[in-house]
Amino acid sequence: MRKTTARNIQLVLITSVLASCAQPKQQSNTADKQRVFMRADSTAQYTEVTNNYSQGNGSGGMGMGSSLLWFMAFRHMGGSLGYANNSLNTQSVVGKNAAKASAFNAQRGGFGKSAVSSTPRSSYGS
Amino acid sequence: MRINKLRIDPNWEARLSSIGYGYHTMDGIPYWIDDYYYEISNQEADQIYKATNELWSMCLDAVEYVIKNQLYAKFHIPAFMIHHIERSWENDNPSIYGRFDFAFDNTTKELKMLEFNADTPTSLFETGIVQWYWKNHYFPELTNQFNSIHEQLIQSWTELKPYLKGEILHFSCGKETLEDLTNVEYLRDTAIQAGIETKLIYIDDIGWDGRCFVDLEGENIQSIFKLYPWEWMVREEFATQIVNDALEAQWIEPSWKMLLSNKAILPILWELFPNHPNLLASYFDKPSHLKNYVKKPILSREGANVEMYYDTQMIYATEGEYGEEGYVYQELANLHREDSGFSIIGSWVIGQESCGISFRESDMPITTDKSRFIPHIIRH
Repeated sequence: MRKTTARNIQLVLITSVLASCAQPKQQSNTADKQRVFMRADSTAQYTEVTNNYSQGNGSGGMGMGSSLLWFMAFRHMGGSLGYANNSLNTQSVVGKNAAKASAFNAQRGGFGKSAVSSTPRSSYGS
Repeated sequence: MRINKLRIDPNWEARLSSIGYGYHTMDGIPYWIDDYYYEISNQEADQIYKATNELWSMCLDAVEYVIKNQLYAKFHIPAFMIHHIERSWENDNPSIYGRFDFAFDNTTKELKMLEFNADTPTSLFETGIVQWYWKNHYFPELTNQFNSIHEQLIQSWTELKPYLKGEILHFSCGKETLEDLTNVEYLRDTAIQAGIETKLIYIDDIGWDGRCFVDLEGENIQSIFKLYPWEWMVREEFATQIVNDALEAQWIEPSWKMLLSNKAILPILWELFPNHPNLLASYFDKPSHLKNYVKKPILSREGANVEMYYDTQMIYATEGEYGEEGYVYQELANLHREDSGFSIIGSWVIGQESCGISFRESDMPITTDKSRFIPHIIRH
């Protein structure tokens, strides 16, 4: 019978990630702002993405490699993440990689519209 | 079953945030209650456990009945989805969870099913993790809680793993909802602990390459958990791609859950199991003898567009945008009431077995997305 509670619970993924998501937004210090360039393929050119990383990357000693990266992983940057991330220039994502070019060409946004048009709420669950 | 008060922990918000619970307060109003709780008896826990398992079995019978008798019109299921639903049922496609909502009458000790959140139930993280940490903070180790959600999730994923298609199980939810992201990431955490390779993708980011669904790296999606309602998916741009998918991706929850998450299942259950002690009388058309009842849209979320009638007079109603597909009429239940409000019990079935409960409390007798979460313990 599955009625009584466990003596130990271990979480391997989410505690630090979600705790960082719940942090209040920090003011960025533009004077000290670290410039960030990214590319998603070794055959691609770099694109500057500093503005995508400005939130929460100012004071507080949160640099790259900290939980900020996890926060960013769960936060869309005005578009998508991964190779289809439209905040990163296509040339910086695909390079000469045909498979990645194909990912870029997939049709997206076919799900999710009901959530946008629905009354604003904290959850789309029940 | 009764409410007890606690001396509040002044650091309760920080304590909850530190375990990754970021939505304990909404618009300045606590959603999580830290300083009072429900205490239930062992007998009451046993009663909920038994009822949950029995109702789950009855729900499976009801799905079989609906499919066999082709009652899809009562559920407003789009015609193009019928084959997909039937195939997912016949193939026994993996299902991981569901949450029954119960009314409990403290006087008669009757436990009545209000509805079944079979497709996109939330508050899993609060129930499985947050109230477990809450118990450990306020009570000694020997104090019990009706909560084995965490180990049941890991065990269920372990059992499902051989039946998943592809190498990766994708997890998906809508953007910009920390509550859904937390629930999905918690589920993904337990799947990882079961040895499953996973990836997160927001529902909006799912791609269609003309042949199958793909993730942001262009990788085929063959198995995907989604915290996004089927009734929305089947009306969106990619709806027909669900049935045209060359890889026949396994969606979790499977599409046959559309029948159980729809309130049209309530009159079906009453027809199949009349006068069952855990059911409320429910009808598609209001019979004249029904004076105290609730009118619910067959498709609605978080208590929206519900009307409550006492002696045929409307006494409560909630706003919303649902009701276009029709309504069901359900006998009015007695909700447990304390000075702080009306409470219902959420009872989880995970991997075919009852394994944990939560309490939601509201100022009015209709539970909505604003209803408070109250933790519990089982009395020594």
